[in-house]
Amino acid sequence: MRRVRVGLVVPSSNVTVEHEMPQLLRRHPSATFSFHSSRMRMAKVSPEQLAAMNAQRERCVIELGDSDPDVLLYACLVALMSAGPGEHDRIESLVAEQLAAGGSRTLVRSSAGALVEGLRALGARRIALVTPYLEPLARTVVAYLEHEGFEVPAWRALEVEDNRAVSRIPGEQVMAAARTLPLNDVDALVISACVQMPSLDLVEPAEAEFGLPVLSAATAGAFSVLRAVGLPPSLPHAGRLLRPGTEAPAA
Amino acid sequence: MSDLTGQHLVRGVDHAAFPTFDPAATVAFYRDVLGLPVVHSICAAGWGPEDHPDFIHFFFDIGNGDRIAFFYYFGLQPSQRLDRGDSFAQFGSDVPEYFVRSRHLALHVDSQEHLMEYRRRLDASNWPVEMQIQHETIESIYTHDPNGYFFEITRALRPVTPQEDLDANLTIDALVDIVSSPGHTLEDLLTRKAELIVERAAGWQEEQERAGAAPSEVRA
Amino acid sequence: MSRIWFLDVPENWTIIDVASQAPATRLTRVGPYVSVESDGPLVVDRRSAGVRHAIWYSCVAGLSDSRITQWDKDTLRIEAR
Repeated sequence: MRRVRVGLVVPSSNVTVEHEMPQLLRRHPSATFSFHSSRMRMAKVSPEQLAAMNAQRERCVIELGDSDPDVLLYACLVALMSAGPGEHDRIESLVAEQLAAGGSRTLVRSSAGALVEGLRALGARRIALVTPYLEPLARTVVAYLEHEGFEVPAWRALEVEDNRAVSRIPGEQVMAAARTLPLNDVDALVISACVQMPSLDLVEPAEAEFGLPVLSAATAGAFSVLRAVGLPPSLPHAGRLLRPGTEAPAA
Repeated sequence: MSDLTGQHLVRGVDHAAFPTFDPAATVAFYRDVLGLPVVHSICAAGWGPEDHPDFIHFFFDIGNGDRIAFFYYFGLQPSQRLDRGDSFAQFGSDVPEYFVRSRHLALHVDSQEHLMEYRRRLDASNWPVEMQIQHETIESIYTHDPNGYFFEITRALRPVTPQEDLDANLTIDALVDIVSSPGHTLEDLLTRKAELIVERAAGWQEEQERAGAAPSEVRA
Repeated sequence: MSRIWFLDVPENWTIIDVASQAPATRLTRVGPYVSVESDGPLVVDRRSAGVRHAIWYSCVAGLSDSRITQWDKDTLRIEAR
């Protein structure tokens, strides 16, 4: 049984990544996963706090580098997207450079990049989103995805500013928001475009209810991690993205 | 995928890297005296197989997007000092001075005026110009940086011509031809080069004229 | 016969002039090079050519059947091999 070490760089108040990622990856038939986190201090998803958080990136990468993970997931989504188009590529490159300069072979992914990767793997062009953010920040996420070549004809902002409160948003509230979206002309639904809003248990029910592929930051993250380390990106009960045979031809 | 065989694809110096034991003086020299901006830095630890300290890798812009970079390793002490050398290499007294000086970085400037400006900056600093000389086609100023690295700034007196380009290639071809013979000398090189001149130079001239190059400035 | 080659570029012109003004020398062009050939030894005086040391010490492009018997700061002397 292959053992994979996953490094996680998480916003300090995040409690969802370290819950949902192990929950997901525990289901993999041919590998066991251990998770090793480093935290960047952030309580409120505001531009000032996000900038301060990103400044801690170097320390976090150094700490995790010492544990020699197979892959490092920079578990930030809005923190990256709010900095401007293409930011996940830029940050992933900087983290990779930092690791490479020290002779580490750890691979690098980010939650923002994973979402893009997962949507492309599904062949999705028109997508709908549910986000917990205030509207201006939600618009930033939409603009980021549009810059990546997607159309976002429908989205919701639940307007929960405190990151700790985001971790407690009930699943019913997320589903209710999703139900208000016009989904007839959409290729995929991102049930949680956020690494803190719990959504793993909603993915399969939402696919059943809405009849289209549903992904979350967590399922996309798991897909990206599995592909990075060369494992089949298949996990049960995690939506169509992680069902065998899903991948669209490589872009 | 297009075939890239034979294409000259590299684009200059991404970085030329050196170790330093004195990052403050290095920053003072390159950034503050010479005015080369700090354009990048990486903070990392040693995660490869060798036991390796934490380090900072920092980069100064040297023009055209090229960079000179330094490594500063936390806690690393310089090893035993010999008679001469720099932060990278130490040499005993048996090593000739010309050899110790052979390795150096030379930065290019476009004019006499610019060269003298850098001269002015160095002379006002703790690292004044040690030498200023003219070579065949270039004029240069020299000093040693805070790490003992021999450092040159240079400007071309006139552009290198196609015939000088040919000449350089004949020299190198002659060198490669004679270098495997034991005891080879400069004279052997010049003899071989004369053979190559006889073999190739007239044909080269015709090629140039056919390609429409302006006849080079030659004596009657 | 001694024969020395120079690249025909402006900074070598005075050297080529001084070399070819010696008696019994022949000047030949091959591409961008000129050779100066002499029945006997060929001697060139740097000060007559009026060039800097940097030019002086890098002016010889080739030798045919010849050897350098002297090449110091003032004199270049070529003899047949």
